[in-house]
Amino acid sequence: MNLKFTYTKLLRVIFLMLILLPTLAGFTYALLYSFGLTGLLSEGFTLKHWTETLSDFYAWKSIGFSLMIAMISVFISFWISLFLVLKLTKDFQKKWFHRLIFVPLCFPATVMALYVLQTFSKSGFFSRISYQLGFIDQIESFPELTNDAYGIGIMLTSVLMVFPFFTIYIKNIFDAEKLNEYQQLSQSLGASSLQTFWKISLPILWRKSKLTLMLYIIFVMGSYEVPLLLGRQNPQMITPRIVDKAQRFNLQDIPQAYAMALMYLGVVLILILVTSASFVQFFKRKSDA
Amino acid sequence: MRLELKNISKSFQQKPVLSSVNLQLNENQVISVLGKSGSGKTSLLKIIAGLEKPDSGDVFLNQKSILNKKVNQRQIVYLFQEALLFPHLNVFDNIAFGLQAQKVEATEIESRVKAILKEIALSDHSSKFPLQLSGGEKQRVAFARAIIIEPQVLLLDEPFGALDVETRENMQKLFLKLIKQYGISALFVTHDLKEALMIGDQIAKIDHGHLRTYQNKKDFIQDEKSGVKEEIDFWTKIQEFE
Repeated sequence: MNLKFTYTKLLRVIFLMLILLPTLAGFTYALLYSFGLTGLLSEGFTLKHWTETLSDFYAWKSIGFSLMIAMISVFISFWISLFLVLKLTKDFQKKWFHRLIFVPLCFPATVMALYVLQTFSKSGFFSRISYQLGFIDQIESFPELTNDAYGIGIMLTSVLMVFPFFTIYIKNIFDAEKLNEYQQLSQSLGASSLQTFWKISLPILWRKSKLTLMLYIIFVMGSYEVPLLLGRQNPQMITPRIVDKAQRFNLQDIPQAYAMALMYLGVVLILILVTSASFVQFFKRKSDA
Repeated sequence: MRLELKNISKSFQQKPVLSSVNLQLNENQVISVLGKSGSGKTSLLKIIAGLEKPDSGDVFLNQKSILNKKVNQRQIVYLFQEALLFPHLNVFDNIAFGLQAQKVEATEIESRVKAILKEIALSDHSSKFPLQLSGGEKQRVAFARAIIIEPQVLLLDEPFGALDVETRENMQKLFLKLIKQYGISALFVTHDLKEALMIGDQIAKIDHGHLRTYQNKKDFIQDEKSGVKEEIDFWTKIQEFE
């Protein structure tokens, strides 16, 4: 009994150490660095790096740009996945079809980004096909879909990587939460397909998936390889911007990189708190209406 | 006649589930449909509700075919074995759901929901969420949610199957009270002989997709294949043993 208790206690300590230690250590180190308390050129406590970072328009622009890309990518992926699950319910019962959706998940982000670059860039596959078919006069006329100002290439890659996971995830929620039965019941009670979708399916789905969606927004927001290959210097996503700062020759920029990383962390935390509360209210109001 | 089924047949993967099923349900009548698992009871109810299509045959509601009508236009409510209360809605909103879908005025919804909450003795629970209710309370809410929209026909698929004996008996009494009060015709599917006899005005038995409707309860009890004789024998033996 005692042995079991000690073993469980030990496992808890290991778990906490694995979860908290790297996070807290990293956070503390970044905090100390950003206040000038550690690092190669440390000159003691200063707010200089924070003042510069907080007043850096491009840092805020990067956070905003990253957030926009992440939210649009996750939004599009969610709706694609939901549409697939709703419209291809019977196909998902076939094993081969269900397994097929796992294929895109095997691709590393870099490979997917390179694929998008090869396919959608101005000199890529679609550009050449469009030119050959006479849709455009010259290859350069093809719309800018990679390394563009709106991050279309990054969003395209993110969607390609995220939607297969969402499809599997939403399908599992449908099965586990008996959503098909809820839908049938709702219609039996006189609700139209549209009413059933907005008042029953979506709120139940949202309750179960909001945390995962939020984690994916954070995941896409912090992606590095994809914006590096498909993004621009301006606007630039936050992670490549932080890495740029941290790896410059000017060592004075390193504390600013850490301050920027902490600023980004703060925005993410605020985002989680605000959206989780407001979306619950949104659906409550919708079902009250 | 409220509901009529004519020669309904259904197969799944070439295996017949229902074979030329005929049934007539009158106004304010409750027919108990007895059958073992896999006998085709659920398929029968789902076809009537419009959740599944038959291979052949027709379904008539008030002498009109409803086979091509959508589920939400049939005025037939299908109650699953589980209460299936919408988890994100409280008791009040769960009960009001059907009325809201029909765009009934908010004031009328409120008065009707309050009245039915009183009937099912859950007035104090209106703001509770399904997770905060017991199994019996959930079933009462599910009932109220179905009955409040006053459907032409109510289909019940073993609704008390998961309840304990005491709650089950209370639910049976409540069901009979509400169904008479609201004047609703119902098909009540069960595998419990006593429940079928207690609830139904008439009994039907489904076996391997074949439905037999008895003229009255006496015919059913006297039929050797009904299972009543085995039930009586069982209890007689128990008494002798004691």
